[in-house]
Amino acid sequence: MATTTDVEHRTSPVWWTLRTIVGLHVVAIFGQPVFAGVLLSGDFDGLRMHATGANVTTSLGYVQLIVAIVVWVRLRRVGPFAATLALVAAETVQYFAGQAGALWLHLPLGVATIAALVVQFVAVWRQEPTHD
Amino acid sequence: MTDLTRRHALGVGGALGLVAFTGLTTASALARRPPRTGAHLAGQAPLPPPYQVPLPIPRTLKPLATTGGVDRYEITQRETTAEILPGVRTPLWTYDGTFPGPTIEARRGRPVIVRHRNELPVPTVVHLHGGRTPASSDGYPTDLVLPRDWHEPARMNGMHMDGMSGMRDPRAVESRLTRDYTFPMDQRPTMLWYHDHRMDFTAPAIWRGLAGLHIIRDDAEDSLGLPAGPREIPLAITDRAFSADGTLRYPSLDPTLRTKPGVKEEYLAGVLGDVILVNGAPWPVHEVDAARHRLRVLNASNARHYELEAVTDDGRRLDLVQIGADQGLLTTPVTHRTIPIAPAERYDVVIDFKDVKPGTKVRIINRLGSGRTRDVMAFRVTRRTKDDTRIPRTLSNDLPTWRRGEATRVRDFSFRAGRMNGGHGWLIGGKPFDPSRTDVTVRLGDVELWRLVADVHHPVHLHLVGFRVLSRGGRAPRPQDAGLKDTISLRPGETAEIITRFDAYRGRYLFHCHNAEHEDMGMMANLEVH
Repeated sequence: MATTTDVEHRTSPVWWTLRTIVGLHVVAIFGQPVFAGVLLSGDFDGLRMHATGANVTTSLGYVQLIVAIVVWVRLRRVGPFAATLALVAAETVQYFAGQAGALWLHLPLGVATIAALVVQFVAVWRQEPTHD
Repeated sequence: MTDLTRRHALGVGGALGLVAFTGLTTASALARRPPRTGAHLAGQAPLPPPYQVPLPIPRTLKPLATTGGVDRYEITQRETTAEILPGVRTPLWTYDGTFPGPTIEARRGRPVIVRHRNELPVPTVVHLHGGRTPASSDGYPTDLVLPRDWHEPARMNGMHMDGMSGMRDPRAVESRLTRDYTFPMDQRPTMLWYHDHRMDFTAPAIWRGLAGLHIIRDDAEDSLGLPAGPREIPLAITDRAFSADGTLRYPSLDPTLRTKPGVKEEYLAGVLGDVILVNGAPWPVHEVDAARHRLRVLNASNARHYELEAVTDDGRRLDLVQIGADQGLLTTPVTHRTIPIAPAERYDVVIDFKDVKPGTKVRIINRLGSGRTRDVMAFRVTRRTKDDTRIPRTLSNDLPTWRRGEATRVRDFSFRAGRMNGGHGWLIGGKPFDPSRTDVTVRLGDVELWRLVADVHHPVHLHLVGFRVLSRGGRAPRPQDAGLKDTISLRPGETAEIITRFDAYRGRYLFHCHNAEHEDMGMMANLEVH
């Protein structure tokens, strides 16, 4: 972490927005294996939950992408944008792999996406970029 | 510091990316694409080239008597041998000496009574798949027909040890040597099939040859002008594996099929053979006129799924016009490029060879197969001819239209792998089959909506009733789900909603997975209609 003066110490609101959306995204995506487990244990409602969860998670991904663009413009940091773009791409593939029943892709890609999102969560909370 | 952080981030990101990439490529390499449930059983016999053997058409069984408004038949279940692969003899268990067994032709509303005589070395049970049949003739798995000199192989303290449950079924109705099965035939015209349904040993018994066709017709269907006579062709598709001497290979734990049920551990998901037989012949060929033909397709395989398409020699794909499903004619024809067919499903399709050049072939391909299991059979088009058949826009107008709101109960069932009797098995709603436990009780006449969830491929079959498919995977059903069904193919991780009315007869029935190996290893449940 960069050493900061008192004036610089205030983390940018844009960054706080990114932290929040990444946090929500993590919570949402963790529901997906839970609902999949509910479904495969024979509870038909798990399908609706898993489908709703997929819509929420994917939508949060796109919101996060917009926030990451703002971060890129305002804070001149391209990292969050690049990472989010990769995540959104993975989640989009994931969405259609799930609908197509391509489980060979859906399961490992889901695990990888969650792992990547957790890494991003840690990264955005450890870094504290400030106003220009 | 920022540089360090950036390097860090790139390092972590790169490592994660590499792991994800490796994982996904490994998944893509190892996973079965398209997915397949079952294990390959490789044969050792030399296999004939495709499209050499003529397609056999199972003979139509002649009734012994037709008096009193009833058709009476007799079928002897017996061992025989047949030359399935050229040059070798294959021992079979058969209905009346042939595989498939003889076809029964029935008329709607005219009862059929079949006396089955069991001259096989083990008990048998006959089930007419898709029949609206009173419980006493539905072939409940413990309603055995015992061979003449059958002695219970293992009974301890009055316990019947060949059942999965390890206990005797108090409601079983056994008979010795013969049994009369009465089929009222009060149902929509369609192609059914009869096969063995003995507790714990259904899969190996069907594998050895105990399966035959049963067609119901009525005047309304006859008057539609559909292709008929030699232009109506039943196709019972099965896969098998052969030893070098021609005997069928099958991984039974007890090859005598007397005491110990089950297959070797690696075949728990199902047995897939490497030879495709149609009507009992390997990759056969059938000569046809350049005209419409009605194909009545049954997947009589234990575990293999097919996705059938018809391809001409010059690579054109012919339309498959579906006119009927498991339980008879659709309302209107539906045109498909491919037909997915799970074990026990039937499709009634019309294919038009009109534009196929005489002297060339139309191959029926299985898109889910690989190597030799991609080939199924071929039609050789012989000559151009006049064709006065037709496919009417309206095929039937008696399809039930049950709506969600009519359902008095909604039930959920999971079909998945699990533990039973200290080993692996297949469970419905978390439980392995037990004849003495009633799983579902329905009131006669009630409409119910069932929601089904599968872990791997499970073709789910309900006895007694036909059902409509309301949804698949949370979305609209596939075009191939049209009509009235009695078996629905669930793919890995897939769900479906089905709706039906439990009418016709009271009594103890079944619903189960029609992967025959799954069925033998627990995946059945009792359905009590009262």
